[in-house]
Order: sequence, then structure tokens, then C-alpha cells
Amino acid sequence: MKHLKSFNKKAVQLQKAVSPEEVEDVVAMQTIVGCTATADPGWEIDAFGGLSSLCQPMESDLYGCADACWWPAQVPDTMSTYPDWGNGVDKANEDWRKIDGIFEDEQ
Amino acid sequence: MTRHISLAGWLGKRAMVTLLVGLSASPIFAEEGVEILRERCAACHTETTTAEESAYFSRISDQRKTPEGWQMTINRMIHLRGIEIPKEEKRSLVQHLADTQGLAPDETEGFRYLLEQDNNRVEAGIDPDLEQMCARCHSAARVGLQRRTEQEWQYLVNFHMGQFPTTELHAMARDREWYRLAHDELAPKLAERYGLKSEAWEEWLSQEKPLLKGSWRVLGFIPGKGEYDGRMTATPDEDGNGFMLQMKGRYADGSPLEGEGHARVFTGYEWRGTLMLGDVEMRQVLAADAEGETLRGRMFLADSRRLGGEMNAYKDHGGAEILGIQPGYLRLGESGEVTLIGQHLSGEVSLGEGVRVEEVLERSDDRIRMRISAAPEVSPGARDVTVGEATGDSILAVYDRLARLEVEPTNALARVGGNGGQLDKMRVAFRAVGYAAGADGEVGTDDDLRLGYMPADWSIIPADEAAAHEQDAEYAGTIDAHGIFTPGDAGPNPERPKSANNVGRLKAVATVDDGADQLSGESRLLVAVQDYVQRVLD
Repeated sequence: MKHLKSFNKKAVQLQKAVSPEEVEDVVAMQTIVGCTATADPGWEIDAFGGLSSLCQPMESDLYGCADACWWPAQVPDTMSTYPDWGNGVDKANEDWRKIDGIFEDEQ
Repeated sequence: MTRHISLAGWLGKRAMVTLLVGLSASPIFAEEGVEILRERCAACHTETTTAEESAYFSRISDQRKTPEGWQMTINRMIHLRGIEIPKEEKRSLVQHLADTQGLAPDETEGFRYLLEQDNNRVEAGIDPDLEQMCARCHSAARVGLQRRTEQEWQYLVNFHMGQFPTTELHAMARDREWYRLAHDELAPKLAERYGLKSEAWEEWLSQEKPLLKGSWRVLGFIPGKGEYDGRMTATPDEDGNGFMLQMKGRYADGSPLEGEGHARVFTGYEWRGTLMLGDVEMRQVLAADAEGETLRGRMFLADSRRLGGEMNAYKDHGGAEILGIQPGYLRLGESGEVTLIGQHLSGEVSLGEGVRVEEVLERSDDRIRMRISAAPEVSPGARDVTVGEATGDSILAVYDRLARLEVEPTNALARVGGNGGQLDKMRVAFRAVGYAAGADGEVGTDDDLRLGYMPADWSIIPADEAAAHEQDAEYAGTIDAHGIFTPGDAGPNPERPKSANNVGRLKAVATVDDGADQLSGESRLLVAVQDYVQRVLD
């Protein structure tokens, strides 16, 4: 990393984030019960324990996450478990209010 | 919109099946449970009968789980495998399976937070393999609260591969032979650690189960309301399915607490209650001890599971007991009002060296509200309190200076919600705990004296420079005077760069006055986007 120069603001933040303290933070935050530690990208936090590398707003790429079954404990996977989730709401970033959750007991 | 998914609520309604509460796996109930298995499950789960095991169903009989674990299994069978089972039968089946293939009390130790929905914590001491292979998506406790044969653990790996095929492509999976490691190495390890057969379970099965009916003296905490004490009466219900509950008491500020509800007991000790306190629906997830003397666990809001607090209940046998004191601390040279909580208290009150009763303000067999004072120049430390023959060991902390303030939970997660969307906001309740330095005079050492929960002024600040730059503290939510954090609205926020959600990385800060000084403590708080898959257990 020392031979590379950060080109834009995000890259600067990423480079700065890789310090021992923040790595420790990352490890800690990743294991809060209910969060996924799959952080490539993350759902709650990114790989550096921050938010700057998340898809934001998340609605803009929500189905990209659901199709790929990327965080099946947080986002219904439309690949095999909940194929109909999101049906009728084609533009999540506009119609996000219509998107329901999966409430296990109601099954 | 409010949704309820707690097992306690789901099972709180009366079922048709007869269960002799306290006698787990009673023959009547066991027979009915087996019949339901034959009727609803045997089409896929083959039944074989051996001399040792009168009813063995493939897959099912090779697992043991908590009541919530079995509920999730049946939910999955309904959703993914298309079984049809009426609600009443489903309840009976959970009861049967939890009673006959449950976990012994010792086997849930260390993981009860998940059952109690007390999830604002970092799981500690988890095997790194388990953490990376399983707890990457869900809690490690969800695994630790199951018992399976080695083949069953391997089947579980196979299920994950079939159901969630990109699992092996995620980070911390694509860098290794995930399937081979999970199937060939982790599953045997899990079978060794969390195997089907255990002495603890055999012992628990053969043991007489505690009888839980009767009058209980209860103490606890509800966010926004404060500490409370009262009595809970558990009366066997007409159907023999559980207990009708009546709870009556008061909060520390004197306001009344009153409610009614119903509870069921699984596996002989797993107490699941649901009751209305005023117009608020509450859940109880408690564990009885082997003797049926105590019920310990958590009571929380039905529609907001993270908002809750500890609840402890003590069986009333007619003997005198001191169970707690609210608040449990007093500064040297000062006076204050405290309430001693117990049952059948009679006789003289003694508060230990240098502490005296100035005035008894209110007294009954269950509680003594009084003004007390501490002399200015006695040794600080924990004092035993006695009332007649009853003793409360080290329950009153007398201190010279507030040295440290901690905020609980240390790590917390809130989620945006509301704003017309389908999911509620997920809030967090914080509490401040005070400590004195202890005999060595040094803060942060093992002998620090825990003073107890303290009222505090609450605020939020950005977690660091990056969070400040993103104005997380302005957008991600607010905290009220009770320490309850309410996250921001769901949805893209056009005011933020790239219309980002109202997520943020914050610190919740508590500040307490201590004489002329002020002391602060802080906790890490992550405000994240919604959880669209709301399971019984995370």
C-alpha cells in the first residue's frame, strides 16, 4: 500500500481505515448478534468497520443482493427460498415502502 | 406496523392438548406428540421402532433443540417443504419435541441471550471455525443451542449448500474449500462438542421437574419505566396447558404495575410467558432452576424485542428473604431514599458499618422504603443488609467517589424503519452502570466496586471523524432521557450524499453528576438498514 497513492476521497478513507485500532473495531462490530460478517460488500458495515463501502442507499441495489443470496439471514434470497419476494415492486429505490419483510411465524 | 414473532406469544394461547406441566414428556402428551409426527411428518421422516426407542423418526430423532429451535424447524417445513399443520397441532408438536428432545439447563448456559432476545452483544469465546463458517450469517448461539449426531451436522451443511448455494462464494468462504471444511472438519467437531447424546440430558430427563405454580416475588427492569418489583401468581389453567398469570407491583417511581397473561413451560424448565402490562404486550423468557425456587431471564416488549430487561422471580415459601435494594448505592456523607425488596420481612433493619436508617417511610412484609444515611468517614465497600433473620449479602455499595461509568450494552445495533415502510424501527435501550475504584484506589481493576445502574443524561455523538464528516449524529437517530435510542426513518434520504439511508456509526454517551464532578461513559452504536428476514432466533 505504501507505494500506491490514494486517488480519490473514498480511497483515502479506505487507506486510513486500515489501522490496528480500526481493524479491531471491525472484528468486534462484525459479530454483533443479528449482523452479517459477510462484508464484500456488507449489509450493516463494510470490511473496514465503516459505512463508506456499502451500497448506499441500499434500495438502489437491493435485488442485486437478493438474487445472489448474499446475506440470506438479512435479505430474503430470491434464488431459492423466497422467489416471489419483491414481486410487483420493480423499482426498490422508488417503491421501497411496499417491500415487506419475512416474518417467520406468519408462514 | 407491528408484527409479533415471539414463541412466547405464539404459544401463549391455549392449546387443546393436555400437558401435565412440570412433568415433561408425560405419557399422555408424548403419545399425542408421536401421533402428530406420524400424521404430519412420517411421509418423509421414516418411522422405525426398536426395543430401545419406541418411536424413531429419521432426521427428527437425531436432533435436540430448544422450543424456539423446534418452532423454526417446523416453520421451515411449512414454508419450504409444504407440510400442512394446524396451529394447535404445531404448538403441541413443539411442546412434545422440546420435552422429549430438548436441551438440559446446563446445555443452554452461555447462549441464553439468544432465547431471551438480548442480542445487543458481541459473541465472545466462539471457536474461530464456527465463527467464520457459521456465525458469519447468523449467531453462533443458534448453532450452540442445537444437539445433533455427526451425520445430522453434515446434513445441515448440505442443506445450506443446497438452499444458499452462494455461501461458498462469500468472503471467508471463497478463500478456502468451504464445503469440504464444513462437511469433513467442522461437522465432526460440532458433533463432538454439541453431540446428540449427553449425560446432562439423560440426567435431566430422569430428574423430577420443578413445580412452578404458586406465588413468585419478582424484580426487574423495563426500559422507559425503570426498575420494578411485585408479585406474580401462576395458577394452573383449565386445560392443564400452562399457567394463568397475574402480576401486580410497582415501579421504582411508585407508579403501579399490573398485568395478566399466560405462560407455558417446555422441557420442564423453559418458561415462556405473555402478558399485558397496561396496554403493552410483554413476553417473558425465563429458566427455572432445578428446585423450582427461582425463575431467571428477561421480559421484553412483544413488538420490540430488543427493549426489555432482566427479570428474576423467587418462589414464596413463607420464609423471610432479602432479594434486592433499589438503588443499591449511597455516597459517604450523604443520605438518600432506598427501597429494600424481599418477602416476609420482619424485625430490625441493619445496613452495615456506618450506614443507618434515618426514617422508615413505608413498610410491608415485601418492601421497606426508607431514608438512609452514610457516615462521612467510614470505609467504602459493599455492605450486608439484614432484616431480622434475613440477610442480603453485599447488596448495598457505600462509596466515596464515582470513578467509572459504563454504558450497557457496550455494542449495540439499531435499524432504521418506519416512514411508511413495512418494517418498524429497531430501537436500543441503554443503561449506565457506576463503579467506584475499590480498595486499591485504582480504576479499572478487578476490585472496582460495582454500584449499580444510575440515572444519567444521555446524548449521541459520531463514532469518529468519518462519522462526523457524514453527519451520522444528525441523521441516524435520537436518544431520549431514558436512554432509549430511536433510529432514523427508513428509505433513501435525499438530504444525504448519494441519498444515503439514515445509517450511522455513533456513540451513546451517559453523563452522571458526582458531587461537583461529572463523569461520562460511552457505548458503540451502529445504526444499520432493515433486517428483512425476521427469524424467531437470529
